[in-house]
Amino acid sequence: MTSIRSSGVATTARPRAGEDPVLSSPLDSRLRGNERIKAARTFLLRHPGIVRLGAVVVILLVWEIAARFFMDPMFISPPSRVFASLGRVLHTAGVPDALQLTFFELAVGFAIAVAIGLPLGLAIGLQPFARRSLMPIVLLVYGMPKITILPLFILFFGIGPESKIAFGVAHGVFPIIITIVAGVQNLKPILLVSARSMGASRWQMLRWVIFPHMIPSFFAGMRLGMSGVLLGVLLAELYVSTAGIGYFTTMFTENFQPTKLFGLIAMLAAMAIALNEMVRRAEHRFNRWR
Amino acid sequence: MARRREAMQRLASRAVQIGFLLALSALWYAATNFWGVNHLLLPNPAAVFHELVEVLRTGQFLPDLRVTATEFVAALALATTSGMLVGFFVSRSRYWIAVFEPLFAGLYSIPIILLLPLYVLFFGLGPASKIALGTTISFFPIVLSTIAGFGNVERTLVTAARSMGASDYQLFRYVLVPAALPVILTGLRMGFTVALLSILGSETIASLAGLGHHIVQLAEDMEMARMFAYIAFVVAITVLLNGLVSHLEARGRRRG
Amino acid sequence: MSTGEIAIRIKNVGHQFGEAGEARHVRALTDTSLDVVRGELLCLIGPSGCGKSTLLNVIGGLLAPTGGTVEVAGKPVRGPMPGDIAYVFQESALFPWNTVDENIRLGMRFQGVPKSEHAGRAEKSLEAVGLAEFADHYPGQLSGGMRQRAALARALALQTGILLMDEPFGALDEQTRMILGEDLSVLLARTEKTIVFVTHSLGEAVFLADRVAVFSARPGTVKKLIRVDEPHPRNPAFVTSEKFTALRNELYDLLHDEIRAAVASEAPRRRRGANGGAP
Repeated sequence: MTSIRSSGVATTARPRAGEDPVLSSPLDSRLRGNERIKAARTFLLRHPGIVRLGAVVVILLVWEIAARFFMDPMFISPPSRVFASLGRVLHTAGVPDALQLTFFELAVGFAIAVAIGLPLGLAIGLQPFARRSLMPIVLLVYGMPKITILPLFILFFGIGPESKIAFGVAHGVFPIIITIVAGVQNLKPILLVSARSMGASRWQMLRWVIFPHMIPSFFAGMRLGMSGVLLGVLLAELYVSTAGIGYFTTMFTENFQPTKLFGLIAMLAAMAIALNEMVRRAEHRFNRWR
Repeated sequence: MARRREAMQRLASRAVQIGFLLALSALWYAATNFWGVNHLLLPNPAAVFHELVEVLRTGQFLPDLRVTATEFVAALALATTSGMLVGFFVSRSRYWIAVFEPLFAGLYSIPIILLLPLYVLFFGLGPASKIALGTTISFFPIVLSTIAGFGNVERTLVTAARSMGASDYQLFRYVLVPAALPVILTGLRMGFTVALLSILGSETIASLAGLGHHIVQLAEDMEMARMFAYIAFVVAITVLLNGLVSHLEARGRRRG
Repeated sequence: MSTGEIAIRIKNVGHQFGEAGEARHVRALTDTSLDVVRGELLCLIGPSGCGKSTLLNVIGGLLAPTGGTVEVAGKPVRGPMPGDIAYVFQESALFPWNTVDENIRLGMRFQGVPKSEHAGRAEKSLEAVGLAEFADHYPGQLSGGMRQRAALARALALQTGILLMDEPFGALDEQTRMILGEDLSVLLARTEKTIVFVTHSLGEAVFLADRVAVFSARPGTVKKLIRVDEPHPRNPAFVTSEKFTALRNELYDLLHDEIRAAVASEAPRRRRGANGGAP
């Protein structure tokens, strides 16, 4: 990353803590104190993660104070109370089952989306004619707000988990196809040519050249597909549901139980981040050569 | 000859696309007319077309369209302003990029749609909650792409402009903006798509007005043909908007 | 090279891309005949677009010419002949997701070498190019020069009689280029390989080649063959010798007019391409 600041251009920017000219000029009388400040500054400059954490803490603090002293407890709950009540949320009758159900819908939807998207993406990507003729259709359907046909999904598949899974698939399958197609396309032709010159068969090219080349976009597709499926499942659950997380978020909202609502959302967010991180770790392992 | 061959190929892929749509329509027609699929599940295409003409003729879609369009424009405007401002200031220093970029990227991986119940709790069932959700969701792609765009401007470009005596404003106007534009445009496009999705989504899930709400209403009243007509109407609008945005993006890219 | 046995026979080869009347129509190569003697290093040099890389791809069987034939070891070339011909390309054609060692083994797997020989051959070829310590590095971790050494090792491990090199040092800086050239010359003296080497660099051609084939501007054909009588491995001192300078100057004179001609014909072609290429 090339920062513009480093070339001394960012005159529009505010002075940053680390570069304040007053702080950085040594004052002999307070040399030791200054050195300690300097050390702290160097430490912070070297560890942006700590400042990031600090920013999050500040936001939580503001929220805490606002919720405790200035706002209506019917609508908002301070983070400390949300955190303390996480256990209680988990023990609310039905919540563990709801989490399990949503997770189940996510897993099945994801599996189906991959099973459809991966072969379709490969077929479209590897075949120039198929790419030219089918890609516009894929992009068109991808760009359509599928939420408008959510009522149809409910009509066809009922209000049970089937409609959530189907709607999740509808959201997850297209990002997978698109990333896989893009991944196949940006393969350097010279790699195929050199494999051919060494006598590689079609199968060998697929196995040793195209497949390894696909791995990064495969994982990118999995990640996008996963968040797509999750989005679809949650939308469908929020729309109509007699069980699952969507049902409970709606219920907690209607009963003015912000503590539980916040707690449930926090848990789901944590779940989403954990899933995302898992796929990213796996991706990283396969991308050692980068 | 070869030019002819290219034209033939293009024609062939068009034929496949049109054939696909025709096959789909034929299947739909056959299902409703010959195979006895329940009209409450899948209405007759002729009936849908009739309804669509009716809806367009009477202009009864206008109030809902106005609500949805207002929410959409407001959300996109808020997200674009805030996202680009925050992104620009963060991108001024490599350090601030290191602090905030992962934070935004992490938040972006959360399904923000979950906040909808909260927003409904805060802002009610009216347009405010939709605008809030649309803004929140489209803020992230815009801020991330702005950081990436301004943060990765090639240093030699900046040095070259400086050596020719460019002022701060000139540097911004003639170097930073054009250099960052392609990346920012990608983010804006992304923001456009998710804003539309979240506005229609929140209208569908919890609302009193808007196109998404109207479709749900029709579904509940079992007015299937009219519902299909509305869906076709909304899809047509989004396809048109998408085409327009693609066109603008391509133009901006060529200039940038 | 004194045996005089013909390794590659090129007979009246011509090639055009696209068809006449089409925007992308290019006559790259016309009526080229050339014999490559077993064990020699033949350099192809000429203005850009003169069809030297095209000819190389025709020899390697990667491209079917629109006219003429090529015979390798008495057999007509109809496709890649991995048993007889190995390639080193200009840009890195190493598989970035495999280590250097894995790249070399993969080449042998494609060629059909029994697995039991992989380890020994890989080690030998890595030592030959001086990369033994970097066997487990990924191409992304190596410098440009080392990557081309690795590509050369991959080609050597295939143990073919013929090596085709398409501007293998083209993307490298001058110093690295010089060192690699010297090392290649040393390596060549030890093997019996027949090498066809495409280059832009006059000095590189004179330093490496036994014969230099000078190409005319597009549509290209061999304008003149120049012999460089100097035994391999060539000494760095050769570069400063009068013989070297004389040969280099001769090449320069031959090429100068062709390059001017190529640039002159290139300019309008580009402009037309820009107009025709707009979507």
